[in-house]
Amino acid sequence: MAYPYRHEKEVRLMSDAFGDPAARTLEGWKARGGYQGIARALEIGREAVLADMKASGLRGRGGAGFPTGLKWSFMPKDAKRPHYLLCNADESEPGTFKDREIIRWTPHLLIEGCLVGAYAIGADHCYVYLRGEFFEATQVLAKALEEAYAAGLAGPDVLGSGVKIDVTLHVGAGAYICGEETGLMSSLEGRRGEPRIKPPFPAASGVFGMPTTINNVETLAAAALVARHGGEWYRQWGTEKSPGTKLFCVSGHVKRPGNYELPLGFPLMELVEDVCGGMRNGAALKAVIPGGSSVPIMDAEECASCELCYEGVEAAGSMLGCASVIVMDETADVVKQVRRMADFYAHESCGQCTPCREGTSWAARILRRIEDGRGTEEDLDTLLQISDQMTGTTICVLSDSLAAPVISSIEKFRDDYLALIRRGERVGAA
Amino acid sequence: MSDAPFRNPGWAGNTGEFDLSEAEVRGDPYVGERPLDGGHPGAAPSLPYMLVKKRPSAPLFEGPYKERLDKIKERYPTARAALLPVLNMAQEVRGHVSPETMDEVAGLLELDRAGVRGVATFYTMYNKRPVGRFLVQVCTNISCNLCGADEVLAAFLDHAGVELGETSADGNFTVIEAECLAACGFPTCVQINSRYFEDVSADDVPAILERLQAEADDAPLGGRGSARR
Repeated sequence: MAYPYRHEKEVRLMSDAFGDPAARTLEGWKARGGYQGIARALEIGREAVLADMKASGLRGRGGAGFPTGLKWSFMPKDAKRPHYLLCNADESEPGTFKDREIIRWTPHLLIEGCLVGAYAIGADHCYVYLRGEFFEATQVLAKALEEAYAAGLAGPDVLGSGVKIDVTLHVGAGAYICGEETGLMSSLEGRRGEPRIKPPFPAASGVFGMPTTINNVETLAAAALVARHGGEWYRQWGTEKSPGTKLFCVSGHVKRPGNYELPLGFPLMELVEDVCGGMRNGAALKAVIPGGSSVPIMDAEECASCELCYEGVEAAGSMLGCASVIVMDETADVVKQVRRMADFYAHESCGQCTPCREGTSWAARILRRIEDGRGTEEDLDTLLQISDQMTGTTICVLSDSLAAPVISSIEKFRDDYLALIRRGERVGAA
Repeated sequence: MSDAPFRNPGWAGNTGEFDLSEAEVRGDPYVGERPLDGGHPGAAPSLPYMLVKKRPSAPLFEGPYKERLDKIKERYPTARAALLPVLNMAQEVRGHVSPETMDEVAGLLELDRAGVRGVATFYTMYNKRPVGRFLVQVCTNISCNLCGADEVLAAFLDHAGVELGETSADGNFTVIEAECLAACGFPTCVQINSRYFEDVSADDVPAILERLQAEADDAPLGGRGSARR
């Protein structure tokens, strides 16, 4: 059952126990088939697990959509140095709220995913980097981890196989940038969460200078299921390029917001109108941000034929990202919301790169000026120019992530900007 | 499929499709039980609690906190990696992380003071100044904003009688804006100390503040139970 609403069109592989407190305990989770994935993985061996993961076509659920099996295969095969698995549970992309649901409702699914991932890449230690705000969810996970250790599922001898896998829950302290994989590594090492230039890539030199793989919570949850059922099983859902199911986080102006687990390729408008019960107050759809605040905004026309898979959303002019579908009806003030996003990115910029540090805060100031009726048409050109300079010029993609909504909103909702500018001119606010 | 109204009361789970208590949604049987010594070493860095009772000049770290510190240190290959969990623990004890606390932590982990200050000031969740018994953080980012977060923030400021970032005269409430709390399907989300309050509307605010006030009166010494919230 997805939470807090259910729908008959869902395919609930990961989310069936959302809203079911009995699934939080080890006993309850085992009764639902838990820990069969790690048991099978240990039985078939590391190479077979990797082959399964490649066959499944699972793509990383943190936003980039990189094939998980391929990522795992980049890790060195020798065991001369410690290998690390990092689980990215620093969920903080505006509009995204799937990982917290996995952590608080099905903590054992995540722990199993960590064990499978660590085993596959030859890591004997997995750190789960949780955002500090997730206090309650983290404590549910902590209890589950203690149960897993007591039952010999985690620790020096996983299920009597002789394989050692430790799991440590590490809590951050409030910084969006730590969700970027190299920022996360810096933070885990006890530094400011500043991203690093790649190469070296984490698989060569990651956290503590050792080979490292970073996977999102939902990726590892899906990996546990692939380990249990095999790679081909996963391909019965989704599309050729986007196999499997995905948690769609729907927020904003719909009647039934929440998480829905659907096969990739599901039509966007069917998600909005049918699964989510349509628009709140029956208002018309104005815009959708399909993948969290970092992706281009789509207008109603682009939404009409959009299919929710990596290639489908790209064809519609945006990106699936982490499938955080933010829905806006005709009452939404697009300029205000873009300004709010700009405030966010300005606050969260780590400050290392000038185009980002200066660009995000100037974009926020200019947008505020327009929102207050003190803007001019030249401000729109300035915003586009700044955005251009913020794209592809920095260590990480935080500044690109603000440029995308700024550019796309000016292109698609220029009239909204102009209305505010002209209203300001009329009342003499400028 | 029900035609339940858009809004849920106070915490999610009462949409007509789930029959869940607040305790079940929050996971209270787990959350309230976590031991001060950190429990299993793998879970030890996962605390801290945000306590109602702040002890700004309490010693770092004694008794069960010393045990937790030792467990945390053994989970990482470097001393520096323990820095965030240890700063978290310092904040749990003292309520905020002052420059003096940063220096003390640097001494404990044998790290350079400037480096520790650089880290402590990078992260939003370390309170650099004392805060009220309850730190009210209202998400005003896009999903909550579309659903009325600005009004919720205004209601908290109004009913607590404070300006943004200030602490009320009785020392109970500090109200600030927060960035996305990853509960976008439950707008507006408000984090109060360690707890999330979901689906909060401006109308809910007086009742939430009354409930918090009662909890503060209940556990003035900051023992276990509600005071650990």
